[in-house]
Amino acid sequence: MSKIEIFDGAMGTMLQAGGLQPGACPELMNVENPDVVKNIHRAYIEAGATIIETNTFGASPLKLEHYGLTDRMAELNTAAVAIAKEAARGRAKVAGSMGPTGRFVEPLGDLSFDEAYDNFFAQAQALAAAGADYLIIETCIDIQEMRAALLAAKAACNIPVICQLSYSEDGRTVTGTDPQAAAILLDAMGADIIGVNCSLGPEELVPIVKTLAENCNCPISVLPNAGMPYLKDGETVFPMGPADFGQWGVKLLEAGATYLGGCCGTTPEHIRELAKAVKGQPLPKRKKQAKKLWLTSRSKAVCIDKELPTRLIGERINPTGRKKLAAEIREGSLLGVKKEAVNQVKAGAHLLDVNMGVGGIDQAAAMQKAITEIAQLTDAPLAIDTSDAQALEAGLKAYPGRALINSVSYEPERIAEFLPLAKKYGAAILCLPITPDGVPKTAEERIDVMHKIIAAAKEQGLDDGDFLLDALVMTVSADKSACYEVLITLQMYRERFGYPTTMGLSNISFGLPNRPLINSTFFAMCLAAGLDAPIMNPYDESMQNTLMAAAALLADDPNGLAYSKNAANLAAPKGAATAKVTELTPLAAIKQAVIDGEKDEVPILVENALKAGIDANTITEQALTAAMTDIGVDFGAGRMFLPQVLLSAETMRAAFNKIKELTPVSQSPEQGTVVIATVKGDVHDLGKNITGALLANSGFKLIDLGKDVDSTEIVKAAIENKADIVGLCALMTTTMVQIDKVIEDLKTAGCAAKVMVGGAAVTQEYADSAGADAYAPDGVKAVELAKELVKK
Amino acid sequence: MPIYNAPLLAIDAQETKRYAGLMKARDFAAEKILEACDNARLLAQPRGIWEIYDYDCQAQMIKSQPSCQLQGKKIGQHLAGCEKIIALSVTIGEDVEDDISARFKDGEYTLALLMDAAATAAVEQIADGMEKALAPKMAAQGFAMKWRFSPGYGDWPLEQQPELLRLAQADKIGVSLTTSLMLLPRKSITAIIGLYRKQENSVPSHQPENCALCSQKNCPARKV
Repeated sequence: MSKIEIFDGAMGTMLQAGGLQPGACPELMNVENPDVVKNIHRAYIEAGATIIETNTFGASPLKLEHYGLTDRMAELNTAAVAIAKEAARGRAKVAGSMGPTGRFVEPLGDLSFDEAYDNFFAQAQALAAAGADYLIIETCIDIQEMRAALLAAKAACNIPVICQLSYSEDGRTVTGTDPQAAAILLDAMGADIIGVNCSLGPEELVPIVKTLAENCNCPISVLPNAGMPYLKDGETVFPMGPADFGQWGVKLLEAGATYLGGCCGTTPEHIRELAKAVKGQPLPKRKKQAKKLWLTSRSKAVCIDKELPTRLIGERINPTGRKKLAAEIREGSLLGVKKEAVNQVKAGAHLLDVNMGVGGIDQAAAMQKAITEIAQLTDAPLAIDTSDAQALEAGLKAYPGRALINSVSYEPERIAEFLPLAKKYGAAILCLPITPDGVPKTAEERIDVMHKIIAAAKEQGLDDGDFLLDALVMTVSADKSACYEVLITLQMYRERFGYPTTMGLSNISFGLPNRPLINSTFFAMCLAAGLDAPIMNPYDESMQNTLMAAAALLADDPNGLAYSKNAANLAAPKGAATAKVTELTPLAAIKQAVIDGEKDEVPILVENALKAGIDANTITEQALTAAMTDIGVDFGAGRMFLPQVLLSAETMRAAFNKIKELTPVSQSPEQGTVVIATVKGDVHDLGKNITGALLANSGFKLIDLGKDVDSTEIVKAAIENKADIVGLCALMTTTMVQIDKVIEDLKTAGCAAKVMVGGAAVTQEYADSAGADAYAPDGVKAVELAKELVKK
Repeated sequence: MPIYNAPLLAIDAQETKRYAGLMKARDFAAEKILEACDNARLLAQPRGIWEIYDYDCQAQMIKSQPSCQLQGKKIGQHLAGCEKIIALSVTIGEDVEDDISARFKDGEYTLALLMDAAATAAVEQIADGMEKALAPKMAAQGFAMKWRFSPGYGDWPLEQQPELLRLAQADKIGVSLTTSLMLLPRKSITAIIGLYRKQENSVPSHQPENCALCSQKNCPARKV
C-alpha cells in the first residue's frame, strides 16, 4: 500500500480497432497478430500505466471452448504474458487477467465448484509459469466462482492475487453479495488485493471502494467503466471523457483505493488523465482494522464481539437424539433441516450450527448438500459442526461465505486436519479446550489448553479475528463447581485473549428437575461473565426472556428500550376475544365464529349448543348454513375474499366434525351428490379444489376425481354414485372443449345429472353453447347454484 | 444455454396477498400469509435457463436454428426496434403443488390457497431474479431490456409455447408442456425479453403492464 499503482484501460475495444473481427476469439490475436496487442500495451504504458493486464480475459479452458481452442489454452496465455513483458520492458508490471467462465457455479448454475477450480487452476498455472507478476481475477458476479478461482490461483502459484467482483447499482453483485461480505471473505481466504471493476462508472464505485477499504487491511483496486454505454448516431459510446474520469480517480483514491485503472470504454487518454490527476496526491488514510470475528453468508456479514449484542447460534440442525430428523436425513430428505433453518432465523438466531451426524450415511455428501441448500434459504452465516475432516471440507467448499468450524480441540487429528482447512477456506474456528486426556476441570487448566490451540492455529497462519472460544459446560449435578469454573473461564478468556466466547448451555442442568429454570439462571450468569454467542435453542422462551432482560441490564439494549416494548406486548390483555361472543346466543355465536373463521373456537361452541339441547339439524341450518348464506352475500359484494371464505369453510368443517363426533346417529341430511373434476388435458386444479372444499362443507357429498380426468371416468363416476350434479372445470381455451365432450358423453350414457361448469376461460355463453345447466364464475356462486340445481 | 437458479431468501408477502385476492381485504391475519410464504419457500426448487438470439423485428423472426416466426401483433409491437431477444424459462418445481394438493385433501383450504399464491409470487421472483442477473450483462454491451412477454399475453397465441420451450431449452430445467399446452410444473414461466440499443437519454421501457394486457377483467389479482 506504499504507493499508487495505475492499471491500464479497456482491451476489447482497442483490439477491435486493431482489426479483431466480430465473433472472433480476442485471445487468438496473441499468436496471430501479436503486434496489435503489443501496441495496445505500449499505448497504456506510455499513458502512465504501471501495471498492464494480459490479453487473457477469456483464455481459460472453459471460455476457449466457445471457439474450439481449449487445447491451445497454455499457448495463448504464455504468448500473452510474453507480449506484455516485451511491451513493458521493465517499465510496468504484468498482471495475468482471468475473467469469469460465463456460467454460474452450483447451486446457482450448472458448473460444479471443482470444474470451476480446475478451469482457473490451469490458466493461473500457465500465466504464472510464463512470468506474470500478478494474477487478476476480475468481473466476477458469483462469489462461488471467485472462491474457486482464488483457491486455484493460490494453489497454482505464489504471485499476488487480485480479486475483483462486479457490483450492480444496488451495491451488490447480481447474485446478492455485498462489498462488506466480499472483503471479509476474500481477505480471510488470502487475497492480496481486493477490488471492483466494470458494471458501474467511477461515481457509483466510490461507496463500494469505501466499504471494501473499511472491511479489510488489503490494498484496494478499482477499475471503473467510463459510465454506461448507449447508442449515439448508430454507435455505442461511453459517456465519460478522460478529464472527468481522471478527476473521479482522486475521489476513488480518497475512498481508499491505491490500484486505479479503467474498464469498458476507457482508453489510453483516460489512463493518462487518471495518472496525471492522482500523481502526488496523498495516500488514503486507512484505519488499521482491528481483527474482529466476522462471519459471512453469500449476502450478509455478522460480527461476534464483546462490544456488540449477544449473537445466538441456533443448535437445532442436529439429528442427535432426534429420531425423526435423523431418519429423514438418512433417507436423503432435507425438508426437516430446511424447516429448522428458516424457523430458527425467524426465532432470532443470527448464525446456524449445521450438524449432519447420522450413522451409516456419506457424511461428506450429506454435509455438502445441507450447506448448499441452507445457504440458498437463509442469509444467516453457518457453523459447520462435524468431527469428520472430509465432511468439513465438503461443507467449506460448498459454502459461499466465511463459515465457522465447530470445532477444533487440542487433539492431534483436529489440529493436523482442521487447522489447514480453516486457513485454506478462510474459515473461523470454534476452539474447544479438550485434550486427548479429556476435559480439563479448572478454568486455569482450560486457559492453558486454549493457549496451545491458539498457538497451533497461529502457526498455521490463522490470526486474531479467527477464534471463538468455548468455555466448556459440564454437568452441575455431577460436579458442584461446573458453573463456577465456566464463569471464571469466561472472565479469563476475555482478560487473557480478548476473543469472543461461546458455549452450549443446556448440559449444565442434566439430571436436575425443572431444567429450564437452571438453564436460564445459568444463562444470565454467563452473559454477565462475558458470554458473547451462546449455542442454544432459539425457540426456548425462557432463554429468550432471560436474554432480553440481560440485554437491558448489561447495556446491550440501552435503557431497556427494546425490553420495554417487548414487555408491553407480554402484558397485553388476554381473553378479549372470548368475551365478545359470550353475549351472543349459542346459534348466533356459532354463526359468527364461522363467518370470522374461528375454527379452533367453533367445536366448543357446537358442543355447548348441543349440551344446551339444540339439535344437530337446527345448528346446521340456523347457524352453519345461515353463515354460508351471509358469506355468499359478503363475497358477492366484495366485502369478503376467497381466503376468508375458505377459512370459514374450514370452520364449517370443524363444526360438522364435532357434530358427527357427538351425535353419530343424527344423520345430517345431504343436499345431494356432486362429482367434480378438472377435465382431461388440464392440470390446473386450484379453482376445482376451492369449489370442492366449499361444496363439501355446505352439506354436499363430494366425489373429487382430481385433475386431467378423462370423460369416460367422469361419466362412470357420475352413474355409479348417482350424482345429482357433475362439476367440470377447465382453465384454458385449449382444454375448454373437453367440457363439450363430457356433456355429450353424459347424455349418450343416459346420465341425468345436472352439469355445472367453471374455470378461468369459461363464460356463461360458452356454458350455454356446450349445453351446461349452470355456469359458476366462482366457488361461492357454485354452492348457491348447486343448491338451486338439486331443487329442480 | 446458461443456467441461473436465483436464490429465494424470502417470498414477497405483498405479492402473495395480491395473488390470493386479498388486495382489498382488511385485517387478514398476516401470520397466515407469512406461514404460507415460508412453507412454499421450503418446498420451492428454483431453476432457470435462458438463451440469446438475434431478432429481425421487421419480419418478427427469431434467428434460431431453425428460425422462429412470432405470431401476433402485440408481440410484434412489443419487440419493435429490438435487435436480439432472450428466450427464458424458470420454474420452482413440483413439490410445492403436490403439497398444496395434499393440504386441500386434508382440509387446510386456506393455507393451500395462500401457498398457491405464494408459489406464484415465488416463480415470478425467480424470473425477476434472472432478469436482474441478465441486465448488467446486457447493459455492458449497450443493450436495454424490454419487459417479459409470454404466450397468451395479448394476441400472442399459446400455440407458440412449444417453440418458446425449444428456444429456451426449458427441458433442461425440467419444464415441459401437456398436449393442451399447459406448463408442467404448473408454477413455471416461459417468456421473451427484447433487447434494444439504449439511446442517449432514452427512458427505459422496462415497466411491465401485464395486467392491462390481460382479458381477465375480474381477476382477483388484477392490479388496478
